[in-house]
Amino acid sequence: MIDAERLKILTESAKYDVSCSSSGSRRANTKGGIGNASVGGICHSFTPDGRCISLLKILMSNRCSYNCLYCPNRAEADVPRASATPDELCELVIAFYRRNYIEGLFLSSAVEGSPDRTMERMLDTVIRLRKVYRFNGYIHLKGIPMADRALVSRAAQYVDRMSYNVELPSEKSLRLLAPQKTKESVLLPMKQLFLEKKAAGEEKGKNRKIFLPAGQTTQLIVGASPESDGQILKLSEAMYRRFSLKRVYYSSYVPVVRHSLLPDRCTGLLREHRLYQADWLMRFYGFDADEIAKEGENLPEEYDPKCAWALRNMQFFPVEINTAPLEELLRVPGIGTLGAYKIIKARKFAKLDFSDLAKMRIVLKRAKFFITCGGKFYGSDNYDTVKTALMLEERSEKYEQLSLFSTPETSLSVHTGQL
Amino acid sequence: MNVYITDGTENCFYTAVFNACTDKDCIVTSSCAVQLPLGANVVAVTADGEKCTRVKKKLNEYAPHALKDIPLLLRRGCANKEQTALEYIRLIMEKKAPVKDMLSHPAVIAATEEMRKVTLEAHRFTGFLRFMEGSGGIFYAPFEPDNDILELILPHFIRRLKNQPFVIHDTIRGKAALYNMRECAIVHTDKKVNVVLSDCEDAFQKLWKEYYESVNIAQRPHEKQMKGYMPIRYWKYMPEKH
Repeated sequence: MIDAERLKILTESAKYDVSCSSSGSRRANTKGGIGNASVGGICHSFTPDGRCISLLKILMSNRCSYNCLYCPNRAEADVPRASATPDELCELVIAFYRRNYIEGLFLSSAVEGSPDRTMERMLDTVIRLRKVYRFNGYIHLKGIPMADRALVSRAAQYVDRMSYNVELPSEKSLRLLAPQKTKESVLLPMKQLFLEKKAAGEEKGKNRKIFLPAGQTTQLIVGASPESDGQILKLSEAMYRRFSLKRVYYSSYVPVVRHSLLPDRCTGLLREHRLYQADWLMRFYGFDADEIAKEGENLPEEYDPKCAWALRNMQFFPVEINTAPLEELLRVPGIGTLGAYKIIKARKFAKLDFSDLAKMRIVLKRAKFFITCGGKFYGSDNYDTVKTALMLEERSEKYEQLSLFSTPETSLSVHTGQL
Repeated sequence: MNVYITDGTENCFYTAVFNACTDKDCIVTSSCAVQLPLGANVVAVTADGEKCTRVKKKLNEYAPHALKDIPLLLRRGCANKEQTALEYIRLIMEKKAPVKDMLSHPAVIAATEEMRKVTLEAHRFTGFLRFMEGSGGIFYAPFEPDNDILELILPHFIRRLKNQPFVIHDTIRGKAALYNMRECAIVHTDKKVNVVLSDCEDAFQKLWKEYYESVNIAQRPHEKQMKGYMPIRYWKYMPEKH
């Protein structure tokens, strides 16, 4: 059994990886096996930083031969080092899983020796977990850049999700801060997995195998390098489109390492929050990156990106709640996807007015400036009034945001397994 | 005014609905703690197979979704759950059609919100339930849900841990599900039972606590969010919160 000391070292080294979701896979239990995957994902606990615990997030080893400047485990750093054997990890996963502590395993590793050797050890753990321990729960495997193609394909046949972290949003920053990584070493395996998954999905009948059912994700560090929000969103959009990634995670930079090339202050959580809001707009609300922020621009701090877009495009508003198509409802600040679907269903039976919307728990604080109900309008024709009202609303919410149940959009700042 | 008192079962509720549906301003409840209004006429309802079938048949004819919705509503742990369900059924009988998408109607809003509370709690407990290994190799999980959700979460755990004998114990309602890897039975129990734990249980709980401590990022405290997603009343049986 693994001892508490090593568990601590290997967990603390893994915790800055924000991804934790356990959704997207329907792997079933097998005869004589243990576990299955729940397609919506399940959160098993929440830590005092507000993040969910869904998977056992752990490194195989933190003895790294690379020297990425931002990383607490870089080769030159003076930190306690540890590693775990495949069997120790498997036993821990099974013991936790039987007690319903976790949904599965998120396995990552420092590059110990060569990338191939590291990847082989991770693959060994995963295969052992599936075949010897007959585990059918969720497995998320971190890909090691520059490991052999064949290892990558093989891993994808056993795990539910894989991720290669881009970390820095431009090639220039990557060269400066992570000299042993290249853009290609991260993007090529992503492309390979995308193509192989597509091919596996086209197979018919008996030949059809489970291949990476929950797809791929990646992570970007925000604030360690000078890229603008617009540039970051453009990169995310390209990755969503080209590799059909399930998610891009944004991690605001926390200085765990001091270095002259790195900022020594935390990037505010607000910036990260705004990026997630913008990311949601691209994935669920039909926005393009260009509409949200241009290449060199940053997202406004004073209100959310949807408000910002609406203020720039007042010619599209107000829209009539009782007749507007779904795409237009989705673009109204303050109306989320759930709200829009509710409106579409409810208006088939009865004409809606403002009091109906309030009863349906659709928040009108922002929306009232952009909608009419049966021709009635409670907003304002004066652009500056609207702008001020939205800013005040946001500011009063800043305190609320940190309180109990945040609005759907603010709750996205925490990366729950269900999202 | 009639006050129909049911025994809390589904069949008894449908029997009460048979009369209550057309009986304007009556009350249907299973709670013994209800405050009777002045001039109340108490009707103690006993389940009647025929009335119950007739109500269900009508519901199935007009709005098949109701036969799934009503049992969910009745699992709600609050005194006026029958009343919410009754209003919902009245609306179905009035419209003679499915009503679940009439999202601006007060009866549908109330019913949807109550159902949501039940299913949300069931979903939460698929994650928050904690098993401990007993000395005989049987895993024991006590929990105290607000709503009666034992039967809702059971299929999930049978699928997931089908090769592990377990007991899930609702200590508030004094009932438990016993699963022995072949079949499952729900039995009435005491509210408290003593379980002898296996030798390794304590060690794994300690490892889990160690993990919980280590994975937290202390520079980014956000306790309110944690408590929002994981309310304090659920912490009682979670080793990481002790």
